[in-house]
Amino acid sequence: MDIFTLAIWIGTLIFLGVSFAKDKVKTKQALIMALGMGKGMVVSILSIIFAIGLILTILPPSDIAAFVSNQSVLLATVVAALFGTITLVPAFIAFPLVGTLVGAGVSVVPAVAFLTTLTMVGVVTFPLEKKEFGIKFTAVRNSLSFLFAIAIALVMGVII
Amino acid sequence: MTILKKVRENLFLAIIALAYIIMFIAKPSMGIESVKNSGYYIKEMLMIMPVIFVLTALLDMWVPKEKIMRYLGKDAKAKGVFLSFVVGSISAGPIYAAFPMCVMLHKKGASLRNIIIILSSWAVIKVPMLLNEAKFLGLKFMAIRWVLTVIAIIIFSWISAKIIKDEDLPGEVLTHPGLHINREACMGCTLCAKNYPALFEIKGKKADIKAYGQKSFDLEHLQSTIEACPVHAIEYFEG
Repeated sequence: MDIFTLAIWIGTLIFLGVSFAKDKVKTKQALIMALGMGKGMVVSILSIIFAIGLILTILPPSDIAAFVSNQSVLLATVVAALFGTITLVPAFIAFPLVGTLVGAGVSVVPAVAFLTTLTMVGVVTFPLEKKEFGIKFTAVRNSLSFLFAIAIALVMGVII
Repeated sequence: MTILKKVRENLFLAIIALAYIIMFIAKPSMGIESVKNSGYYIKEMLMIMPVIFVLTALLDMWVPKEKIMRYLGKDAKAKGVFLSFVVGSISAGPIYAAFPMCVMLHKKGASLRNIIIILSSWAVIKVPMLLNEAKFLGLKFMAIRWVLTVIAIIIFSWISAKIIKDEDLPGEVLTHPGLHINREACMGCTLCAKNYPALFEIKGKKADIKAYGQKSFDLEHLQSTIEACPVHAIEYFEG
């Protein structure tokens, strides 16, 4: 296990121990909640993972990297951001996926744009958000998030 | 019938399974490659997912969100902005779990700007995920992206609040007396069914209310169950 994962595990176990010493009932509830959340998400997460496995076989990361480097940065960034909006992917899958892409040579700017829209903008959740907040709120929030995802990516390209 | 229903409930999974079957028949080598690719992400997921869920649930349980939420009104300014970031980044569950909670906060007087901050930070700035990002993309990458994202959210939440007015949000829904569960918000954590099994059960991965008829129930017990729900999906109106 690498140092980062180990740090999360140790930190959480300490937190869990302190929590248990302070309030057994609350801690038990937190553990039930965690288990329930995991159970509720495991099928959809596995589906997403197997879909990613399939896509990366048909479109190897090195091909994606070659394709991206042939485009202008702006175009590649906008297209990457668009791909990210299709669905919402949990962050703990999004990070290793973007890590794979960057490792294969995809440049940072489109990768960041993809990462941000992947977690923040969702066409799939649009109807749900519209129902709760109304069309104007949803349209404004999602389009501004999209524009700023590209802005974040471009600024990061300058800094890194 | 039940098989058809199961397939419809897991349509995405069914499509993926079908794609794999076709792949294994047409090009077995590519099928094996796909499974190998997926295996890498499954391994990464198994290492991190259990601990993330436990950490998120613990944070959700110990940070006094109810107290924080009193400070999210229009007059709160910088303090409200800061606290909105805190609420969003420590909360449990996917972003759609945040929608109903934010609607409730807005009704209780939270400003539009703070609601947008909560939604956005809920999506991208998860405290338990920071180390995970550093592992795959490097500490420098994580730190810079984090700072830029916070700045971006501060700016675009301000712009949004200039464009959108409070009246643009759907008005109050009529409240019928009785017990309600917002099943779209529920993430199936099973806490309510464990806390008050006489009243709640899990049906199809979501919480449901058992028929309680005219029987009265323990209000105090119910209140603590309502407060324990991490996404505030349970509501009770006395009638």
